[in-house]
Amino acid sequence: MVSTVIPNKYGGILMEKVIEINGLTKMYKNGRGIKTLNLEINKGDVFGFLGPNGSGKTTAMKIMTGLMKADSGEVKLFGRNVVDEYEKAMQHVGCLIETAESYPYLTAYENLKLFSRYYKNIDDNRIDEVLSLTGILKYRNEKSKNFSLGMKQRLGLSAAILSKPELVILDEPLNGLDVEGMIEIRKLIKKLVETEQTTFFISSHLIHDVELTCTKIGIIYEGKLLSVDHMENILANYATLENYFISEVDKNGRI
Amino acid sequence: MEGFKATVINEIEKMYKKKKMIVILIISVAVIAIGILISIGLSSVGVGVFKKSSVFPISVLSVLANTLLPLFTTLVAIDLFSGEFSHNTMKIALTRPVSRFKLFSAKITAIAFFVMVNLVVVMLLSTSVGLICNFNSITFIGIIRIIISYIVTLLPIMVLALIVVFFSNILKSSSAVFFLCIMLYMISFVMGKIFSPYSSLFITSMLDWHIHWVSDTMLITKITREFLIMLGYGIMFFTGGYYLFDKRDL
Repeated sequence: MVSTVIPNKYGGILMEKVIEINGLTKMYKNGRGIKTLNLEINKGDVFGFLGPNGSGKTTAMKIMTGLMKADSGEVKLFGRNVVDEYEKAMQHVGCLIETAESYPYLTAYENLKLFSRYYKNIDDNRIDEVLSLTGILKYRNEKSKNFSLGMKQRLGLSAAILSKPELVILDEPLNGLDVEGMIEIRKLIKKLVETEQTTFFISSHLIHDVELTCTKIGIIYEGKLLSVDHMENILANYATLENYFISEVDKNGRI
Repeated sequence: MEGFKATVINEIEKMYKKKKMIVILIISVAVIAIGILISIGLSSVGVGVFKKSSVFPISVLSVLANTLLPLFTTLVAIDLFSGEFSHNTMKIALTRPVSRFKLFSAKITAIAFFVMVNLVVVMLLSTSVGLICNFNSITFIGIIRIIISYIVTLLPIMVLALIVVFFSNILKSSSAVFFLCIMLYMISFVMGKIFSPYSSLFITSMLDWHIHWVSDTMLITKITREFLIMLGYGIMFFTGGYYLFDKRDL
């Protein structure tokens, strides 16, 4: 794996940057979009990307995964620019953007089999493993067109973690999941962080859930990143993440 | 190359699972049935197509290359681009570690595979029908001619597919692309007949170019000219289609 390693002044390794976003700008014709976004995420972080509807969360994530091209600025994953070195940048990335999509005429297993061909060492055992991790192993041979929203979401999550990625980008991962599902996915994220040092980039509007899962929070409002802070610091100053979020957005609204 | 290979396999598997292979069988049987009907019609007025079994597969090819094969290739090409964009399934492959160029060319390869399988199935079936109807007259040269004329038909059909792909990267709706392609095909067909001196500019008039390959005197200059024109069309529309595909925001 290639990643940017910055030695500190004592010569040791300070941190590994997994995501670097510099001056990212993308404006739509309707005036919405994102403006000069700067962000750095280190290895092992669980980053929560919070923001109201239409604030630019999905746009930023689409540019990060190469689905969209930015007007200016750049995104580096593991030190590689997503525009110039797409394949290498995405080699260790799993993602679920906007909606969990699958080929409706294929079964859950066949869908994952298609994805597995892009990676080395992903066999049928691994496919069964991710299906059981997300709790849809019993629907393995059912076509995904008959799936409910929550089941499709679970299949999308399975596809995102199939290749044992070092970075997982999830856009509203809990959409359509039942309470049990939410708890399971939260557990799954924690487990992956602890056992495999996976880095997560999660956008969500479920503040309570972000508070329970994430270690670092970024708040985006009308396309601008208002603040980035660690969860401990936030909870030291505010009773809940919700209070922090409202105060940050309010502060900006008044200006 | 691994990403390219994986995508080609995936696209072919998707086609197979979407029952596109049944479509191929339907086309083959329908075309051969039409071929038989035509040849019966012709032999009743004294032009016996069955007199030479090697001629039957070639007359079937003429029917196939002008009607059903372009139609179904258009449908498959639209399905792989417009269809995937409108069903939102394009982003599944786009977020995998494979560049857009590889994805684009792999999809084109999968279309070529579909056309090839189609041509081979029709060739085998029509040759056996020809053999059953008139067993004695089969010759080695005849077989070679059949194989050559089926192989060279791949080129004009692929150029047609590239044109369809180009349009399905401009327009968002599958049905709009389909309608546009049918219109263009008809216009091009009629224009090719009206302005016959310029017919080599219209791709539809080249769907029959296999005839030049198997005629008694091979027209090298004509074949070369048509080949170069098709190559030009192919390169233009491949590049244009890829440019649009690469630029597209999802």
